[in-house]
Amino acid sequence: MILLIQTLILGIALGGVYALMGSGLSLIFGVMRIVNLAHPSLIMIGAYVAYWPFRLSNIEPMFMLPVAAIILACIGAILYRFVFEREARSAKYSEMTVLLTFALAMVVEGMLGTAFTNTQRITSPNYATEAFFLADIFIPKGQLYASIISIIIISVLSLFLKYSRLGYAIRATTENREAAELLGVNVNRVGLISFAIGLALAGAAGALVSFIFSFFPSKHWEWIVILMSLVVLGGMGSILGTVIGAFLLSAVAALVGTYFGATWSTLTFFIALFVVLLVRPQGLFGEKPELA
Amino acid sequence: MSKLLEATGVVAGYGDGPAILNGADLSVHPRKVHCIIGPNGAGKSTLLKAIVGMLKVRKGDVRYKGESLKGLRPDKILRKGICFVPQERALFPKMTVRENLRMGGYSITDDSYLNNRIGEIEEQFPILKERHSQHAGTLSGGQQQILSMARTMILKPEIVMLDEPSLGLAPKIVREVFGVMQMMAKEGITIILVEQNALMGLKYSDWGVVLDLGRSLFDGPAQEILEDPRIQELYLGGMKDKP
Repeated sequence: MILLIQTLILGIALGGVYALMGSGLSLIFGVMRIVNLAHPSLIMIGAYVAYWPFRLSNIEPMFMLPVAAIILACIGAILYRFVFEREARSAKYSEMTVLLTFALAMVVEGMLGTAFTNTQRITSPNYATEAFFLADIFIPKGQLYASIISIIIISVLSLFLKYSRLGYAIRATTENREAAELLGVNVNRVGLISFAIGLALAGAAGALVSFIFSFFPSKHWEWIVILMSLVVLGGMGSILGTVIGAFLLSAVAALVGTYFGATWSTLTFFIALFVVLLVRPQGLFGEKPELA
Repeated sequence: MSKLLEATGVVAGYGDGPAILNGADLSVHPRKVHCIIGPNGAGKSTLLKAIVGMLKVRKGDVRYKGESLKGLRPDKILRKGICFVPQERALFPKMTVRENLRMGGYSITDDSYLNNRIGEIEEQFPILKERHSQHAGTLSGGQQQILSMARTMILKPEIVMLDEPSLGLAPKIVREVFGVMQMMAKEGITIILVEQNALMGLKYSDWGVVLDLGRSLFDGPAQEILEDPRIQELYLGGMKDKP
């Protein structure tokens, strides 16, 4: 029983971070219909932004979180402006964005590999190795803090989407791009801002990931499967769905890891991705796929 | 009669495709209801889309209050007071009725004014007030159409263009929708209506325009068009006596 509770707690503690990692992916898909395969490689940049100041002058990775978010937001705005905006006019937009983001992932991986080698890195602030104890159960501080911060960031994002004028524009563009444009929304600007916000979330996630997982440039291939599975389970484009998908899959993966061995844990995400696409391709909260 | 909006010799089409409009003209008189009729593929919707800037005007010009709208983005044209309700009703199904109204006033930056306007519209359309927290996608077809039309009124527009508002609605609901249109006209909004049910559309209009093969064939008071035997034969299916 204790083992079960312990496993669930470990799974849930990771869920928040997965949710933050996936929410940017989901937002960008929702507004722009871009399946950003480069998202985890951009999270990796965020992780390095947190890593070097820690390594060189012991700067707390959480302080670097806003810095990573801002740097990634700028990268996002530039990428959108010079790459994706042009592509928006293409008739093969969807196919092109998949290929483009795939290429982008390779480029980022290559650049990070050249600059920082493929050595495994991790930031190790004190709390990363400490834990709270509740009777026989322990909660690792690093994962707990990271999850709490993730949930705060996602909540702020949700409030922003729900109540701000720009949030209205982003939601409207997600639901019906043409109608939003007819009501006076500059959809191209909304696209740029959403892309920047999506990547800012990647940057923030990167700073948190830096003390939870050890990372190296090519590790993003492993993350993309995890992120795709939870975003697809939640329903592409739905942030709430992504959060629920993240907690659900992370808990299941932890259970699989405990009872069937850690090797099988990652497989949970692959299988979930398959099963969801077969059984309910729109996910929990997504729109039914349209026949175009 | 002075003209509020005038399209002359408009050539337009979708993307790089062939031109659907081959020199269409449209004269819009202030505070009147105009009905554009014509067979399928005549370019009725295309003309509306070209006016609001959703499609590029390849040749010809669209002038509004003496100023050319050619090449302007849809959001700019909207800010000049021209609203378009497309055929698919263009609501945001997962946003609530009130959020949809709020989106109608997206170009208004003064929040308290916008809230006032939403309140006024909800007074005018009690059904929208009653269902304000419901998702727009859960409304019936007629209610969705009414919401789409009411949403344009938030901005107090000069011109509202309606693309087949009766599409897919039961006759009783269609009358209700046309009732809303008359209410808008009474408030001084100039209406441009595209209607497949030409007879019904003309009956509710002051002015009629016949469009065929991307050109304007006839333009005159709706009553005259209704009584013109040639037009009856060609475009009204000779059903003058039917309701």
